Amino acid sequence: MIAFTDIVGMDLAKQALMLLAVDSELGGVVIPSAVGSGKSTLARAFADILPKGTPFVELPLNVTEDRLIGGIDLEATLATGVRVVQHGVLSKAHGGVLYVDSISLLDSSAVSHIMDAISRGEVLVEREGLSEVHPAKFMLVGTYDPTDGDVRMGLLDRIGIIVPFTAQNDYRARKKIVNMVLGTRDAEDTQDELNMLAGFINAAREQLPHVSITDDQIRALIQTAISLGVEGNRVDIFTVRAAIASAALAQRSDVDEEDMKQAIKLVLIPRATRMPEREAESNEAPPQEEPPPQDEQESEDEEAPSDTPDAEAEEEQKETPDMIEELMMDAVTMELPDNILNISLASKKKATTGSRGEALNFKRGRFVRAQPGDMRSGKVALIPTLISAAPWQETRRRDSKMAGRPKTALLITKDDVKIKRFRDKSGTLFIFMVDASGSMALNRMRQAKGAVASLLQNAYVHRDQVALISFRGKQAQVLLPPSQSVDRAKRELDVLPTGGGTPLASALYLGWETAKQARTKGITQVMFVLITDGRGNIGLQATFDPTAEKASKEELEKEVEALSLSIQADGVAAIVIDTQMNYLSRGEAPKLAQKLGGRYFYLPNAKAEQIVEAAMSF
Amino acid sequence: MTQTEPVAKKSAAKKTVAAKAKAESEVKSVKPSSKKKSGWAFPFTAIVGQEEMKLSLILNIIDPKIGGVLVMGHRGTGKSTIVRALAEVLPFIDRVEGDTYNRTLEQYIEGEEGKKGRKSIDPASLSIEKIPIPVVDLPLGATEDRVCGTIDIEQALTSGVKAFEPGLLAQANRGFLYIDEVNLLDDHLVDVLLDVAASGQNVVEREGISIRHPARFVLVGSGNPEEGELRPQLLDRFGLHARIITILEVEKRVDIVKRRREFDEAPESFMKKYSHDQQKLQKKIQTAKELLPKVTMTDEVLTDIAKLCMNLGIDGHRGELTIARTAFAHAAFLGETVVTMKHVKEVASLCLRHRLRKDPLETLDAGEKIDRELAKLLGEAEAV
Repeated sequence: MIAFTDIVGMDLAKQALMLLAVDSELGGVVIPSAVGSGKSTLARAFADILPKGTPFVELPLNVTEDRLIGGIDLEATLATGVRVVQHGVLSKAHGGVLYVDSISLLDSSAVSHIMDAISRGEVLVEREGLSEVHPAKFMLVGTYDPTDGDVRMGLLDRIGIIVPFTAQNDYRARKKIVNMVLGTRDAEDTQDELNMLAGFINAAREQLPHVSITDDQIRALIQTAISLGVEGNRVDIFTVRAAIASAALAQRSDVDEEDMKQAIKLVLIPRATRMPEREAESNEAPPQEEPPPQDEQESEDEEAPSDTPDAEAEEEQKETPDMIEELMMDAVTMELPDNILNISLASKKKATTGSRGEALNFKRGRFVRAQPGDMRSGKVALIPTLISAAPWQETRRRDSKMAGRPKTALLITKDDVKIKRFRDKSGTLFIFMVDASGSMALNRMRQAKGAVASLLQNAYVHRDQVALISFRGKQAQVLLPPSQSVDRAKRELDVLPTGGGTPLASALYLGWETAKQARTKGITQVMFVLITDGRGNIGLQATFDPTAEKASKEELEKEVEALSLSIQADGVAAIVIDTQMNYLSRGEAPKLAQKLGGRYFYLPNAKAEQIVEAAMSF
Repeated sequence: MTQTEPVAKKSAAKKTVAAKAKAESEVKSVKPSSKKKSGWAFPFTAIVGQEEMKLSLILNIIDPKIGGVLVMGHRGTGKSTIVRALAEVLPFIDRVEGDTYNRTLEQYIEGEEGKKGRKSIDPASLSIEKIPIPVVDLPLGATEDRVCGTIDIEQALTSGVKAFEPGLLAQANRGFLYIDEVNLLDDHLVDVLLDVAASGQNVVEREGISIRHPARFVLVGSGNPEEGELRPQLLDRFGLHARIITILEVEKRVDIVKRRREFDEAPESFMKKYSHDQQKLQKKIQTAKELLPKVTMTDEVLTDIAKLCMNLGIDGHRGELTIARTAFAHAAFLGETVVTMKHVKEVASLCLRHRLRKDPLETLDAGEKIDRELAKLLGEAEAV
C-alpha cells in the first residue's frame, strides 16, 4: 500500500482530495487521468488523510441493483422467517468515501442510483416488499481514463471537484512513481509525513467554520461561472465551498485570491462550455459601462479588459471594480489556457452520445435483475422464480390437497415466474451523410433534416440514435453527433452551410470513425444513409493538407473504393439515396452503393418519410 | 443543492412493517409508511427564482385535476429542492384515521363495504384525522411490487396469511407522486403509471387475491432533456410542462448561495426566519382551494382558448381543458373570481408547450410560438 504522501505528481488531484478531506460537503472528487498515472493508487490512499475509521468502500463496476441500494438478505430471511435487510454499498459508504475506479464505465442505472443517493443523502429502498430509508451520505471519489468514455454530466454536476485533465508526461516524476511502487521508501519517514499531513488537515477542518467570504468574492466567482457557460446554479455553492476550504487549509480566516483561483480551477474550468471570449458575442445586452473612448482607457491602464469576458461583470457591477476584473483577467489569461475546452469535460461530453443508448430488455446484454413476466417473453430466471414460490408452498399444498389434486414436490404458479432483464446498449445508429455541395444541396439538406426529425420521433421506441455528417468544401463535418435528443438535433441542425466541393471520401472516413466510436459505446448496428449523387471531387489528401495537389479522377475513385470496402468489411450497412434528376446522373450513385455493399434508391424530390422508410426497410 | 442536508438530523434506518398486528380480515393494512424525511427541507418561500415551476406546483395543489407537472431543464437548478420543499406548504386533508389509502370517510365506507363478507360500517365508529397532503417519492430503482403493492411475504411465511401490503401508489392517493429523472424510468413502470393514471385505480392480483384501491395522484416528474426523451404517452399525461433553466442574474445567484450557506449553518433559525412566509403561502393556497368552486369563466374566454388551441394545431381537447382548469386555479390563487384572458396568458405556455407537434427544424421555441399566437388572438379580441 502506497501512502498519500509518497505519491509523486498529480499535485492538482492531491490538492483536490485535501480540499475534500477538509470539507466533505464538496461532495467528491473526479480524477480523469491516463492509464498508469497512479490515479487509483492516489484515490485509495485518500483514506490516509481522513480521520481513522472513516468508511472507504470501493464500488465494483459490475454491481447489481440490490447490492448497490440494498434489499432482502434471502438466506437470513428464509432461515429466520423474519425479513432481514441487507444494506447496499451506497449505505455502507455512509459517513465515508465511495470510490469508483473507471467511473465512466459504470452502468447507467448504477449512475442514476448514485446520483439519487447523493442528492438525498440517503437511499430509498422500495423493492421486493421492502420500504426503507438508509442513510447514505458519502464523498464520491471517481477515477477514470478519458479514452474509455466520459462520465455522465448529471453525475458530475453533483460532485464538487473535477480535476482538470492533463496527461502525466513528466518522465522524472514517472520514474519516481515507479520507484515508489517498487517500495524504496523508509516506512518511518512515510508515517511521519502522513501524521503531519493528517494533523494539518485536521486543523483545517477546525478552521473551516471560521473562514469568511465576502459578497464581492461570491459575486466574482459566480460571474466567472457565467462567463464560462457553466450550466446550473448548484455549482456556485461548490465553488464557494472550495474557496473556503482552500483558505482553511492555509489556516486563514479570509478567502483570498489564491483560494478563488483554486476554486475556479478545480470546480469551474472543468465544466466550462465556452471560451470566455465568446461572452461578448453571445450576450444580447451590450456592455453599458464601457467608456466610449477606448484607446484613452487603454493607455491609462494596460490591464483593462478591452471587450472580453467580463462585459457582464461590468454591466452588473460597478461598485466592485478592480478586484473582480483582476481576478477574472487572471483566471482567464493564466488559468484558462487555449485548451480550456479540451480540459473541460462538459464541452467534451457534448460531442459524444447521450447516456440513453442503453435499454433494459429481455434478450441480451448484462443481467441486471429478475422481474415478474410471462415465461414466453424472455429467459426464465430460475432461482428468483423458486425464491418467489418458496413462501407459498405451505398454503398451496393445503389448497391443492383440498382440491384433490395430485401431490407434487413444488407448486409453482405463473405469478412466481420471474424473467431476466438485461441491460444492453442496443439500437441502431443511423449516420446520415449529406452532400451539401453544389446547387441541389439545400434541397438535400432539407430532406435529410426531415428524415433525422422523423427518425428521432421514433427513436424512443427503437432506442436508435441518429448522427448527421455534412460534406462540402474541403472536408466532411459532424453536424450532429450520435444523439437521441430531439432538442439537441434542433439546436445543432439549426444552421447548415451549403455549397463548395464534394469531399465524398472524407465523409466516408468520418462516418467510419463515428461508427467505430459508437461501437465502443455499445451500439451494435450502424447504418450509413448517404444522400448524394455519388460524385466526389475532393480527395482525402486535401482534407488534411490544403496545399495538396488536386487528386485525379482515378485517385478519387480508388480512395472511395478502398474506404467503401473497409467499411463494408467492418459490418456497416449502407444505403445510397440519389435525389438528383435522372438526366444529370451518370450512374455514380449506384456504383457507390455497390461498393459499400448496400442498396441504391432513386428518389427524386424524396419526402423525409420516404428516406426514413428506405433506411428502415434495410 | 439538496445534498447539504445536515447529517446529524438523519435518523437511522426505519422499520416499515409492523408484522405483529394481524388484521381481522384477510387483507391486512399496514400502517402508512410514515417515511417522513428526516432533517430539514429548505423552505419553499426561500427558494430564489424558478417561478414557473413553483407556480405550476401551486396550481396543482389548488386543483389536482390539472394533471400534474413535468419539469424539464438544466442540471443543478433546484428541481428536487423545490419539490421536496413543497411538502411544507401543502394544506391538510381529512382521512379516516390510519387509512393506508388516505381515503375520506365516504370513500372508506364505500371501499370497505364493497368487500366480500363485510357488514355495513357505522361512520360513528371511525375517527377522522388531518394529514398534510402526502408527497411520495418514487425512486428510480423501485420495483413494481413496491410501486403497486404486493402480498406481504413476512406474514405469509410466519402465519400463512395472505395479506396485502400496499405500495407507493396507495401512499400517494390524494397526494403527489414525484419522480426525479422521469425520462430514465423503466418502461414497465411507465406502463403501470399510465394505466393507473388513466383509471385512478390500482389493481393488484396475486396469489389468488385481488386488490383494487383508489390511486389518484398529482404526477410530478422532472428531468434533463439531454439525458433522453420522454415517452410520448407519458408526456401527454402531464397537465403542465414547466421549464427550469440556469439563473443568469448574478445577484439572484449570490442570494442563492448566501441563503444556502445560512441554511446549512443553522437550519433551525433559518426555518424560523421563513416560517411566517411559509404560513402565509400555505394559507393563501388553502384560501384559493376554497375559492375555486366560486370562480367562473365567460364563454368568450372559453372561445378564445379553443381558438388558441386550434390555431396552434393541437390535437384533441386536452389542451383546452387544461388551459381552462389551470386558468381557474390561477384566478383563485390571485383571489379573483372571474377568469380573464390575463390568467389564460399566464398559463398558456405551461399548458401547451408539450402539446405542440415536435419538429426539430422549428427554430422558434414552443413558448414563443404560443405567446405569438396568443398575442394575435388578443389583438383580434381587442379589435372586435
